Formats: sequence, C-alpha cells, structure tokens
Amino acid sequence: MAEVNRRARVAIIEDDPVLRDELARAVGLAPDLDVVGTADCLARGRELLTQDIDVLLIDLALPDGSGIDLIRETHARRGKIKTIVISVFGDARSVVQSIEAGADGYLLKGAEPAEAANAIRTVLEGGAPISPSVAGHILARMRGRENAPAETTGPPLSPKEVAVLTDLAKGFRYKEVARLQGISPNTVGDHVKSIYRKLAVSSRSEAVFEAVQAGLIRLKE
Amino acid sequence: MASPRRAFEPLSPEGFAPAPSRTWGLAAMIIVLQILFSGALLWANLVAEAAPGRLIETIAFAEAGAWNPATLPDSAFKPARLPVALCCEASPLVLRTRLTADDAGLTSPSVLVPSAHDNVWLYVDGDLVAGQGRATSTVTSRRPQLLRIPARYVHPGARIDLVVSRTIGFGHLRPFRVGEYDALYPSWLALRVLRSDLPFANAIIGAFVAAFCLCAAPLFGARGLLLSLAGLAASWALQHVGLMVTDAPWGAVANAGVYLAAFLATLVFLVWFFIEWTSVFAPPRSPTATSPRTMILDAWNGQARRRLALASLAVIAVGIVLIALRLQDDQAVGLQLINRVIGWLGLAVIAFSLLRIGAFYSRGGLADPLEASAFIFVLLAAIADIVTVRFFKSYGIFLGSAVTFFPLALLVSLAVRARGVFEAATATADKLNTLVSLREQEILAGLQDLRRSEREALLLEERARIMRDMHDGIGGQLLGLVMRARANRLTGPALVHGLEESLDDLRLMVGSLEQSDGSLATALGAYRARIEPRCEAAGASLVWRIEDVGETPGFGPDRTLQVYRILQEACTNALKHGHPDRVAVTLRRGPDGEILLSLEDNGPGFDPAAASTGRGLANMRNRAARIGANLVIESGPGGTRIVLEMKDVAENPL
Repeated sequence: MAEVNRRARVAIIEDDPVLRDELARAVGLAPDLDVVGTADCLARGRELLTQDIDVLLIDLALPDGSGIDLIRETHARRGKIKTIVISVFGDARSVVQSIEAGADGYLLKGAEPAEAANAIRTVLEGGAPISPSVAGHILARMRGRENAPAETTGPPLSPKEVAVLTDLAKGFRYKEVARLQGISPNTVGDHVKSIYRKLAVSSRSEAVFEAVQAGLIRLKE
Repeated sequence: MASPRRAFEPLSPEGFAPAPSRTWGLAAMIIVLQILFSGALLWANLVAEAAPGRLIETIAFAEAGAWNPATLPDSAFKPARLPVALCCEASPLVLRTRLTADDAGLTSPSVLVPSAHDNVWLYVDGDLVAGQGRATSTVTSRRPQLLRIPARYVHPGARIDLVVSRTIGFGHLRPFRVGEYDALYPSWLALRVLRSDLPFANAIIGAFVAAFCLCAAPLFGARGLLLSLAGLAASWALQHVGLMVTDAPWGAVANAGVYLAAFLATLVFLVWFFIEWTSVFAPPRSPTATSPRTMILDAWNGQARRRLALASLAVIAVGIVLIALRLQDDQAVGLQLINRVIGWLGLAVIAFSLLRIGAFYSRGGLADPLEASAFIFVLLAAIADIVTVRFFKSYGIFLGSAVTFFPLALLVSLAVRARGVFEAATATADKLNTLVSLREQEILAGLQDLRRSEREALLLEERARIMRDMHDGIGGQLLGLVMRARANRLTGPALVHGLEESLDDLRLMVGSLEQSDGSLATALGAYRARIEPRCEAAGASLVWRIEDVGETPGFGPDRTLQVYRILQEACTNALKHGHPDRVAVTLRRGPDGEILLSLEDNGPGFDPAAASTGRGLANMRNRAARIGANLVIESGPGGTRIVLEMKDVAENPL
C-alpha cells in the first residue's frame, strides 16, 4: 500500500528551455508527481536514467540524436520505466514510430498542466492513450503489411482490434467505441494496449529480420 | 502458298564462308580413302583373276545367225585377241578354241570366265554343256562363271565354243582360263565376292540411305533435296536387286524391267538431286529467267524445283511404261536396246551434273570440300567405269567403291552444314540479345528520368500548394497580428487569441499532411480533438456522427485541409453568432451515393442572404468550389445547418 502513496518520479528530456521549464512546472503542480531531473540532450538524458525513475518524458528531435533511440534502449534495458513522447503536433508518423520503439504514450507540447498530469497518470496506470490520427496511421501501416512476409510483420491484429482501431480513427472516444462494438470501455483499453504490444513486437521482429538480411546477426544452423 | 521451310539454307552470304582447314582435312581423308579402296579393289580383282590354269587370250570369233554354234564351220571364224569388245550386233557371238592334250589330262577340266558383259553359254563339240553359271546346281551367279566340262566330252582337240549374248550393249569378254575345277574354284569364289557381294553391300547401303532420307525429309527444311537423294539411293539399291537376282520369282522379263526402270530412275533422280543440291545452298540468281543457260547453270527457285520433282516422277512413270512395252514386244533385243539408250542417257546426265557442279563450285568457291569430294569422285568414278568397260573391255569397280563412301561424305557434310546454321543462329541470337539489353537499359534510363521529373513535378506542385495554404491561413493571421502590434492596437488577450488561432491553423495543415491514406473518416477523426475543446469552452456539447462511407481515395492533404478550414469557419460562426448548446458533425452517404458532411447547431439561426458574415460564408463557398463540392446553408429558428455535398469527389484526386 506504500506504493500507492508514493509520488511518481518523472524525468524530462527536452531541448527547448521554455517548453522544458513549463512542462516541469506543470508536472510539479500535480500532487502525486515529482520531477527528479531534466536534461536537454540524449547524453545528459542517459545520465538521468541511472536514477530510480518511473516516467520519462522525452522529445524526439534532440540536438545529439533522435529520442527514439533512447526510447528503444530504455524499453529494452529498463522495461519498468514508462516512456512518454513529447510532440509539437502529435503527428502520427513519429508517434507510431515511438510506440514501435516501445513508448507507452505521447503528450502534446503546450498542453494544459492538468492535461499533462492526466496523460502521465493514464500511462502509469497501464493505460494506452491513442489519438484518431495515430489509430489511422496504425491501420494504414497494417494494410501495408498485408503483403509482407509473415516473419517480418510479427503477430497480426485480431479482427476485433482492427474494428476498435477503425472506430478510434474516426474520432470516437473509448465510451463511444465500446457502445458501437458492444463491449465495455475497459475492454477497449485492453485492445489498445494489446495493439501497442503487438506494434512493439513487430517492430522488434522487423529489426531482427533486417539485421539478418544485413548479415549483422547469424542464426544458428 | 506457304514457302517450304529451309532449315539447311544458310544465311547468305555467310553460306559461302571459307571452309575451315579441318573440313579440308576431312575432305582429303575421304578422297584418300576412296582412292585406297578403289585401288585395293582393282588389285584384288587382278589377283583373283590370276588363277592357276591356261589363260586364253587369242581366240577365233564369229557372229552366229543362230544360237547353235555347231552349225558354224571353222571357216566362219576370224582371229581375235581378248579382251574383245562385242558391240552393236543383235545376234550372239561365238568364240571358239580347242582343248589341248594338257587340258584333256585334267581330272575335271573347267572354264573360268571372269567377266563377260552378259550371259555366256559353253558348247563342247556342238553340245550345250553349261551356261549362265549353272555349272553346278548351287551356283546361280552370271558373273563370274565357272563352267565344268563333262568327262565324256573331254578329249584333246575338243571344240570349245563360248556363246556370248547381248552384243548390242557394251558387251565384252575378258580373257578366260581353262584349268582344274578345284584349282579355279578359289578364284571364282573371290571374283564372285568382288562382283556380286560388293554390289549387294552397295544395295544395302543405298537402301539405308534412302530410308534415312525419307525419314529426315519431313524433319528438315530441304525436303526436295532429301527426297531426291532418297529416290537416288532407292533406285540404286533396286538396280542391284535387278542385277543380282537371276532366277527372280517374278520372272525374267519383270526382273529385267526392274533393273532397267531402276537404272532410268537413278539417272532422273541424279538430275533432280544435283539441281536441288546446287540450288538449295545457293541463293537463286535469276528467279524468273528460264533461258537454257540459266536452267543448266543457275540455282532454281522453289517453284521451279517443285515442278522439277513432278516432272522427274512423270519421266520415270513414262519410262517404265515404255520399257515394259518394249520388253513385252521382244525381251532379248528390247533389253539390249533399252540398256544402250539408257547408257547414252547416263553419259548425258553425268555430263550435265558435272557441268552444274562445276558452275556451282566455281561461283561459290569450294565452300564445302566435303560434298565436293563426294560428288566429284562419284562422277569421275562413273566416267572411269564407262571408260574401263568401253575401251579396256574390263568391268567397272570405281563407281561401286565411290558409292560406298558417298553417303558417308554426304552425311558428314550435312552435319557440318547443320552446325554452321546452328552457329549462325546462335551468333544472331547473341547479337539480338545484346541489342535488346542495350535497348532495355535505354528504356530504363528514360523511365528513371521520367520518374524523376514526375517526382520533381509532384514536389513542386505540393510545395506550391503548401505555400498557398500558408499564405491563405497562418501567414495572413501572423501578418495581421504583426501589423496590429506595430500600431499598438494589440492587447494581451488578443495576442494570445491570435497566436492560438495561428497555431491551430498550423496544426490543421500538419494534420492535413498526415492524411496520406486518403480516408475522409480518419481525417475527420483527427479533427475532433481540434473542435471539441472549442465547443466545450463555448458551452456547447459536440455530437460526433461519423458513418462508414467507404474508401475515399480522392481525399489527399489538399482537399482535407479545405474541409478542415470549412469546418473551422462553420464552427467559429456557429459558436460566435448562435451560442448553441449543441453542435453536431455528421458524415454519411446521401441517397445518390454522394458524400454529405454537415455541421449543425441549435442556435437561433440567421438569414444567409443578409448575413453580416458574408465574407466568411463567401470564403467557405470558395473553398468548397476549389475542391469540387457544393456548399448548402440552411438556417431557421431551430438552428443552422451547413452541408458540404461531395458528388464524385471522394473517388477522384484533385
């Protein structure tokens, strides 16, 4: 029960000082969240990760590289840390890439403090935030994979997951999707989490496949 | 009329390419083999003839009016020296000699006749004792003949008369021997092998070549050539059948007919074959000219050669009828007569063939020494045989040996030609492949250029559109803010509001760019996050009704942005002027399949015609027109509905 009352420890990696300070301020306002450190580049961000943290807020375009690399590292080595992408536009392409790298959610830059805290809490509770354009983008990617060899695509989405994703892409909320699909809102959330997991898995199998193709990995005969 | 296939016809002028030295070597080898074989045959014949026994070279001869020489007195005989040519008389000829005391002392005195050109009967003291080889019941050969003199006729001075028939043709009698039967027998056996069994081998080879050519004719292109060669070989084989079978089951007349018809056919096929051979492998010189000179020397075209084939068969058929009639009339005289006519005909045919072959090779060069060696040797051998028989009163052996090698040389030559054609075809195919791959590279390069310029054009167009959209939206908004700020007419809240509007527009643009898969429903889904907070902030709830309208490939970023802006404007108007508590966005298909996108509110409504927001409405209409849609505004006391009607828009890109 002690865990429940513990304040979640948040780290922020963002190169724009104004946005970084504003975000740190907004998160700090939440009674259940604690900002334990901020960084303005990947290198300092890696140092932050040596601490005991629960949530990492990370920008993608950093001066010394892409945030996606750090998301992938974090997901692989310290899977318990939840990662949230900070995006100016919430553009689906970069968000989906982040999800495939193992991100758990995303946050629009310039969001209201309450909104930011809510997004962090959702992720901490195991939720998976998803916007209609992200859902649409995932659908488009799935369609593109239908003709690809099975070993590169990972597990396919179930028909119910596709239906849920299609409704979400049309802009419907969880509750509305639940009503349209005749399931409970929680089940909708479960489907979305499953979709996230499958995306991350297929991203990994794609990476493995490409590595084998490139001769980087040799499979045992 | 379909032209006949010509698989063997070389691609001129490559057909007359110089022969490789290997071919010359082969040709020389064939010639040497033929000469060796002929020489060996000649030598074997001379050895075989040198049997132990008395050689009779001087003799008395007389022309007999009747078949019985006993009626001829010694005074009718004139002296002669063997070999003697017996030419040109219809009656048989009698050659007379006498047994010596030595002859009479032999156990079993016999006469060995190595070669008479035709039948020989032996009379002793006026009695017929043997003839046509039937000295014993087992021997059936006419050439050579070993004739035994019965013991009761044997005494010194016994009168030996050899009656030789067929004096019309190139008849002759070689010197003969009188000796012990057993001593003469090996020579007779050797001569028999040389005279009868070798031609028999020739007949078998001829039959084999005929069968091969008949089988190959439909397979290869040069049908006329192979058929004429088949006819030549078959008639050659048949000629030997006629010569060899003395007691034919089909009767002597028919047998003579087979021989003579086959002889005639051989000559006709020879003409056909040489015209084919010297035409198929050479391009026709003057396809229309028919002067005797061109007929003899030049290549014949396909049509002329087909006529020649028919004419050849016709000549053979007519010849067979004439031969049959003549033989029926008088077998003995008819046979001699026909034989002589055909003999002269043969000389003419051989002369024609030599002339043609000479012309062919003098024009084309000795491109194929293999076939040249075969042909020329066969023709020369035929001439040599005629000369030998006619002037040396011997027998022909050269043609037989040449014919043995003829098919061999011809088959090798055909193989070389086929290989040449194959190599030429391979070279042509290689050349074509190279050309095709070069052309392919050109086309690919052109295609890449085309794609690049297409891509560049698309990029330019897209850039121009984004510039226009920026100018249309965020650019104008920011410019307005700057101008108002310069004039100090910008308050804090107004600045925040203006910047928020600009950011909103920027996000709309980004959002529209995300809409790459062209789904209007998904595009609207992304827009909900834009519109809902604004509605809620203005105290209105948003009702979201997006039905499944299927694929809308016509909605790229361009149309999506216009739809966003129209909705934005409509929503702004609704919230600003109507203060509704409910705003509904609906997407569905209309009764005619058109797509209907509407935004309605439950505000008080207004009169569109007199609306003070005329500029905003005009803006929306302009945008609708730009994407090919129709904007309908319905307003009344119950609220306002703005409908975007899109017919045939969703399917067709802008």
